[in-house]
Amino acid sequence: MEKILDKKQIDGWVAALTEHPQGVGRGCNAAEAATTTLWEVHTPALDEGIWTYQPANGTARLDHPNTKQSPKEFAFPQREIFFSFEQIKGEAPRLTQIVPKEQRHAVFGVRPCDGRGVPRMDKVFTDHIEDKYYTSRRKNIAYVGLACNKPPSPNCFCLSVGGSPVSSDGLDVQMTDLGDRYFVKAITETGKAMMAAGGKLFADPSAADQKLLKKTHDDAVAYPQRKINDPDGAPAKLRANFDSPLWQEMAQACIGCGICTFLCPTCHCFDINDEVHNKAPLSGQRVRTWDNCQFPDFTMHSSGHNPREGTGARLRQRVNHKFQYFHENFGMHQCTGCGRCVSECPVGIDIVTVVNKVTEHVG
Amino acid sequence: MINIQDIRDTARDMLAKGEARMVIGYRRGTRGMLAEPAFITDPAQADDLVWDPTCFNNLSLYLVHDKKFLAHMRENPKGPLAVQQRRSAAAFDGDDFVFTTAAGEKRLAAREVMADRCLECRAPYPKEHNLVFGEDKTGRQLEAPFAALERFEAQDAGQRWDAWSQHFDRCMRCFACRSVCPMCYCDECVVDSITFPVTAGTTAEEKATRIKWIERSATRSENITYLMTRAMHLAGRCTDCGECERACPVNVPIRMLNNKMEREAREKFGFEPGASIGGPSLVATFLDSDPGQFIR
Repeated sequence: MEKILDKKQIDGWVAALTEHPQGVGRGCNAAEAATTTLWEVHTPALDEGIWTYQPANGTARLDHPNTKQSPKEFAFPQREIFFSFEQIKGEAPRLTQIVPKEQRHAVFGVRPCDGRGVPRMDKVFTDHIEDKYYTSRRKNIAYVGLACNKPPSPNCFCLSVGGSPVSSDGLDVQMTDLGDRYFVKAITETGKAMMAAGGKLFADPSAADQKLLKKTHDDAVAYPQRKINDPDGAPAKLRANFDSPLWQEMAQACIGCGICTFLCPTCHCFDINDEVHNKAPLSGQRVRTWDNCQFPDFTMHSSGHNPREGTGARLRQRVNHKFQYFHENFGMHQCTGCGRCVSECPVGIDIVTVVNKVTEHVG
Repeated sequence: MINIQDIRDTARDMLAKGEARMVIGYRRGTRGMLAEPAFITDPAQADDLVWDPTCFNNLSLYLVHDKKFLAHMRENPKGPLAVQQRRSAAAFDGDDFVFTTAAGEKRLAAREVMADRCLECRAPYPKEHNLVFGEDKTGRQLEAPFAALERFEAQDAGQRWDAWSQHFDRCMRCFACRSVCPMCYCDECVVDSITFPVTAGTTAEEKATRIKWIERSATRSENITYLMTRAMHLAGRCTDCGECERACPVNVPIRMLNNKMEREAREKFGFEPGASIGGPSLVATFLDSDPGQFIR
């Protein structure tokens, strides 16, 4: 399904997605309609100088470069409660599983790199073992993407990792900005249903629209980006250079913070802790939180031994996971080239340079 | 005005003569216009050093890293380190920044582009040094000390709480503020899970119910506890380099918390962190004449 949406009609589409389809006058009463939301719509918004996903409140703002954090938080929130527990002395412990609420979420303005993060996260959380907490959220999320007419960041490199500024991987709907209107394309069945909800707000594209779309996409792909020189050779070369002294050299400035992984659309490591709220009777929650391979205590053993003692070993872990281990497991690079870790690193560590240096190193 | 070639020549010379085992400075990065930390041991690489308004990291952090690394490896340093120190940016003309480009000269009002930490900087000239380039421009600051803090404090309590509630909610606890801080040098930090010593005799229950002062969840209560604990621990030690605020990816104005403690120390005790090496410390120096009995 391919349609044209006038930019002035975007609020109408958001409203059509938000309101219950059997709204007032369409089969249900006012009380039901007021408490039922078809889709919770999220859109990029500028808050305190940073772009974050916020509840749409009736409008979708799509003039963002890219959001500071990736949209991975919708399916994989930074904090997920698994269950609550309670132990009264002399009684059996009581566990109550906490499942994510059944609510559909439509995430607007997802850039192609972040869209390509979605199938990668799906692999991690469904291959061999299904992570029910992930999948129960994931099945209720639709990603409405926005093609990049030009790279939103000077550190974009999606073309180097098999992506494209007009990729629709992982998306349910792809939108392309054509000036005063969007070219809207359904990618999945969910996407089709979402567009159908907009009904007459959408118009059929003319031949001129199709032509402009093609030109816009061609120009987007031709726009210069940063470049990983040998992405195909990277897995083997990273494997060969595992013990290279380059790692410590390149990680000398690393401060061991969590910016690169927390902002990354595909970093997924987590920690599980019991948060005890009360000691007698014992009660609390078992909680999953994001973890981060750059923290010094990530691999700390209880003996005090740490197999990844230095920043070099930790940088290597992150880079090799993106460009070697994931590729060996799933046949694709895990990195989608959004450039967040490059732009946001407080000390200038640059994954493009790191991969290029290691793959060009003969040692 | 500092001639970068003087810095490079000096660095090369020091390394060649063995007067320093490493020069820590700035070089051009690969991800845009910003400079990045450089660790130079080979005299031939001294020409990588740069010095311009894009040099902003507080490099003294790496002295702490070096000290920890040497302690860990049980190595004795073969020589001192030389550190290129941060000063306020050079390309000033009056209150303007001046950029010379191929398309001509561009002017920007410094107040609009400079960080608060630089606008309010009282000590742009390193008091403690072995070697210094450039002239002393102390007194050149564009804003009075604590100006940003006072602007914030002009709001009523409700507005301030609302603002900080949002800041605390935004914090992801990536710990960039802690990791980038030269004064956050503790090997064991109150927020880390490694502060619990485990032995062969530690039971599962002891592990499960160990005291965790701050949970890993990035929720408002935990984030407040983390950021407040850090502010308290830095009272009397923070020299207002403002790296915490610069590094924060979600724009939490962390410097304001430290600034508040700094002003308390100054107004209540006449104490200025970093004013002298070997001078008294705000919270670790005790005198027999101190009032109160609790400490004795």
